[in-house]
Amino acid sequence: MAKAFKYGLKGIRGYLEPAERELLRSLFDDVISMLAPAKQASQDPLAALVGLDPEAREPSDRALRRLLPNVMKNDGDASLEFRRYTERSLRESKIGALKAAALTLDREDLVLTAADARHWATALNDVRLVLAERLDIRDDADADNIHLMQDWSQAEDVESYLALVYNFTTWLQESLVQAMVHSLDARH
Amino acid sequence: MTLSVALGPDTRESTQTGTAASTDVLTAPDIPWNLVIWNDPVNLMSYVSYVFRSYFGYSETKANKLMMEVHKKGRSIVAHGSKEQVEQHAVAMHGYGLWATVEKATDGNGSGSGKGKGKRG
Repeated sequence: MAKAFKYGLKGIRGYLEPAERELLRSLFDDVISMLAPAKQASQDPLAALVGLDPEAREPSDRALRRLLPNVMKNDGDASLEFRRYTERSLRESKIGALKAAALTLDREDLVLTAADARHWATALNDVRLVLAERLDIRDDADADNIHLMQDWSQAEDVESYLALVYNFTTWLQESLVQAMVHSLDARH
Repeated sequence: MTLSVALGPDTRESTQTGTAASTDVLTAPDIPWNLVIWNDPVNLMSYVSYVFRSYFGYSETKANKLMMEVHKKGRSIVAHGSKEQVEQHAVAMHGYGLWATVEKATDGNGSGSGKGKGKRG
């Protein structure tokens, strides 16, 4: 069984079983492939250099739309314009965090630096946002229902399996954030 | 992405010397845009509060207050600034996975308040 992340002298330490590492690696990879653009949107090297993507559109996939939301609530045109300037680098920074988190899974000891921990926190958060869309978690009541699924022997179908995975990543992220809060407090 | 941010009344207070001149400078141009964070059932309360502390440099008390406002009212204005400033913050918040939008300061007075809960996009 995994152990909660703990903040200590050497950084933030966690422990994961090999199967849990495999699970997380595949979750991180899944979100990376969602975020990777289907094609090189713009071949213009200057546009690519400044992160401009004239082809950017609001994603049709719900989960992707949650990862890359509109910047204005009631102005689709302005949001689209903004998206063309920012979405590519947002995708890249999310992919960067997911890749960095995945790399630490290769270490024998799971000891995270402050930068590793930030990558892990956002990577786990993005994984949870995607799982939540797949599980159709729309409000706190939905979230509470999913939270009741804690016993792996209950995993009968894809949805119950996803719910258990969601709860595992929620627990892991909560313990990580607590450890990060301790490290923040320790610096003050 | 999360580098060198200083805004909001909390961080200003400590550097204010209270001279008439500096007050004029601060109120001079305009502070017309808000950064809004919306509630969702996924983001952990501890994480949202952590992001407010580490990104904006807010105190634990202020970060928790804003986080609870998001949780209970469905949304909270967590920063003000020029359009460019709040847009930059919004992208940073999206990087963290928080649901953030920007709006003109006048839009936020009641019109959108409380309507966010349970609704998407």
